[in-house]
Amino acid sequence: MVKFATRALVAGAVALAIAGAAQAQEVKSATKYGNMNTVTQDLMNRSADDGNNFLHTNGNYQQTRFYPNKQINTANVSKLHPAWVFQTEVKDSLETSPIVVNGVMYVTTSFDHVYALNARTGEELWHYKQKLGPVSTYCCGPNNRGVAVYGDMVYLATLDAKLVALNAKTGAQVWSTDVADPELGYSETMAPTVINGKVLLGTNGGEYGIRGFVKAFDAKSGKLLWTFNTIPENSQGVWATTDATGRDMHRDIAAEKAAYAKNGDPYKTLGGGVWQNPSYDPATNRIFFVVGNPSPDLDGAVRPGDNLYTDSMVSIDLDTGKYSCHFQYIAHDVWDLDAVSPTVLVDVKDASGATVPGVLHAGKTGHIYVHNRKDCSLIRFSEAMVPQENMWVLPTKDGARMLPGANGGVEWSPIATDPSQGMAYAINLHQPMTYHVENAAYPSGKLWLGGAFKVIPTEEQWGNITAVNYNSGKIAWQVKTEQPMIGGILATAGGLVFTGEPNGTFEALDSATGAKLWSFQAGAGVNAPPSSYTVEGKQYVVVGAGGNAQIDAKRGNAIISFTVD
Amino acid sequence: MRIKSLIAATLAMAAVAAIAAPAARADDIEETAAVCSACHGEAGVPVDKSIPAIWGQNEGYLYLQLRDFKVGNRKNVNMSEIAAGMEKPVMKALAAYFSAKPWPNLQEPSAPHDVAVHAENINNSAGCKGCHLENWQGDSVTPRVGGQGIQYLRETMAQFRSGERANNPWMAALLKTYTDADIDALARYLAGY
Ligand code: HEC
Ligand code: HEC
Repeated sequence: MVKFATRALVAGAVALAIAGAAQAQEVKSATKYGNMNTVTQDLMNRSADDGNNFLHTNGNYQQTRFYPNKQINTANVSKLHPAWVFQTEVKDSLETSPIVVNGVMYVTTSFDHVYALNARTGEELWHYKQKLGPVSTYCCGPNNRGVAVYGDMVYLATLDAKLVALNAKTGAQVWSTDVADPELGYSETMAPTVINGKVLLGTNGGEYGIRGFVKAFDAKSGKLLWTFNTIPENSQGVWATTDATGRDMHRDIAAEKAAYAKNGDPYKTLGGGVWQNPSYDPATNRIFFVVGNPSPDLDGAVRPGDNLYTDSMVSIDLDTGKYSCHFQYIAHDVWDLDAVSPTVLVDVKDASGATVPGVLHAGKTGHIYVHNRKDCSLIRFSEAMVPQENMWVLPTKDGARMLPGANGGVEWSPIATDPSQGMAYAINLHQPMTYHVENAAYPSGKLWLGGAFKVIPTEEQWGNITAVNYNSGKIAWQVKTEQPMIGGILATAGGLVFTGEPNGTFEALDSATGAKLWSFQAGAGVNAPPSSYTVEGKQYVVVGAGGNAQIDAKRGNAIISFTVD
Repeated sequence: MRIKSLIAATLAMAAVAAIAAPAARADDIEETAAVCSACHGEAGVPVDKSIPAIWGQNEGYLYLQLRDFKVGNRKNVNMSEIAAGMEKPVMKALAAYFSAKPWPNLQEPSAPHDVAVHAENINNSAGCKGCHLENWQGDSVTPRVGGQGIQYLRETMAQFRSGERANNPWMAALLKTYTDADIDALARYLAGY
């Protein structure tokens, strides 16, 4: 997943390192489930029905981003107003998904700061700043998308490729582990996911010639438990000539096969980052995630073959990290129209109309893909949510125009779903670009795109919010936005969806019709996924307004929580 | 080579000698850094317009440039020789030392409005600030380019375009898609930022 265009990534115990942290403070408990000062596995398992907390980056292990409380609803949302605004110390890209446990909120900022806040008042409880090493090789901005909570710890993954565990009550560092070598282009911007004592983490670096992975660490000690390489040693695949939707990708298979025979498998520097959280299916104990683009992004000549498992949805076993199944959307991608937005587990109708466990993923291509969870197979793909033109024209030296541009469609932004309506909600970009190819040797951990993506300055850019019926693939409604959309969306039982725009608009729409029911001007780009939570019987909706580096949306430093009286 | 004087060449030789047996200890770093100051400036203002400011530059970037000069991914008559014998800890210590210094004011004039608009349009299409960040300050391995010397900026961008500066194929590929007039506007805009 790249994305600069408009654009164009200590083992063992470490002493406390909370620069300038506030004193730990007593936090008032407010919950209906048991002792919530510790986040139990049971609580995590039930997070989809938890009308108080927001325990996971995408709401729950299924990643539905559906919040089950309806105190704020279509009838009263017009009265929504800020309850509090918290200013962080860092005025840069905000991509954090606020996590709320028992009245305590955890948010992160660019450059890996973590704040614990009183979720009712916005008062700061503690502040942790990661001391970053000299080399952080990140793509697309100094972002962080949030923490994971589990037991009495808070987990943060850092730009310099470390995984850090903090004491949830005090913000003190408990341990820190090296995930990978940042000098080779590895970095972390995603929130970890914790399941059954395992902290799961993917990696950025698909723009730097890494070899991608998902790793599992022991939640108590930080010890590495297993590694799943997203690039197998044999990455050639089946030499597919069409994409998931059946369109010809104009591959020169004979030339690729010759290059493969001559140079061998390119797996060592083939990319395949995993930018976003896996979903988890307790029934089969499997996780589902998507793998990003091959390296270098635009130049396929140096990486013959399908480049497995790049641009794919992959399922593996939680306990062992062993492969279960995969589905590749675009073999041998040379456009960076990869797979980034997190997977969602819902029941779906298969081709025969039977209800089966499914997996959804919204692609940069602008399609929502619907899979059968059993074998990863594709059941259907939605109508395109953005214009597609000239697909799949090959990149050229002078630039070939193709839509969507390389940010999508749907970028890393998580989708939301409302299973009661069979609906998925996605935010999209429309950014016409030209794709340029330029051959370059592997530059040892430096940016390796094999060319460039360029926004066409004379063409109009915009975005949209799209509701898709995932049982039919049809678009139910669509609302155009002034600017391309990056951030995220939340659906609630109140019949609402909440999302933000780069121009600072934060808004609530009727999830059945797309009618705009409320909006607020946050003063800086709202490019972060909203969360919702309830404290002392009152529901809130919270979002970060800090703008975005990737699309250069106006920067800010506010976490804003809204409620109705 | 843009430093033509014999003096510079002599300095470079002296620098190589000084760095021949370096250690990463703090006082040794001061000593080594004094050698750098002969070109990069006592107070951070370089002695020649073709020499970049390194005071206050980002730590990861400084380290990687020294590494690249050493391994030959980036070549320069003066710097290649200076970095040739340097060990990693010395490079890291120098990077930390110079990044902690204040960024110097090179007294470059602000670009006129039309030049600024021209450069901003390029930024809008290439997303320069997606990496170089707000106010062109960069971070970690991405350099600060706002307020850098105009002549150095022009020259290094020209070297990216010609392939002479080969330590970052991305910057090279990106800048190749622009015209001389574009590069000139960028250099003037960034230097005066
Ligand atoms: C004889 C003059 C000279 C000396 C002495 C010298 N430099 Fe340089 N330095 C240069 C020149 C000239 C360049 C620009 C090279 C180019 O254009 O590629 C440069 C570039 C650099 C850069 C790259 C900066 C950028 O913005 O890309 C770094 C880092 C650097 N020098 C560090 C040092 C350090 C550390 C020392 C002392 C150990 C040192 N230099 C000593 C002349 C010198
Ligand atoms: C994808 C991230 C990215 C983008 C986009 C980008 N740069 Fe860079 N730029 C870098 C990195 C990283 C370096 C350091 C190169 C190296 O590794 O030696 C750099 C180096 C430079 C330098 C050399 C600085 C020095 O001290 O030698 C200039 C000048 C520069 N960039 C200007 C630009 C301009 C102008 C644009 C837009 C047209 C741009 N960059 C877009 C990442 C980026």
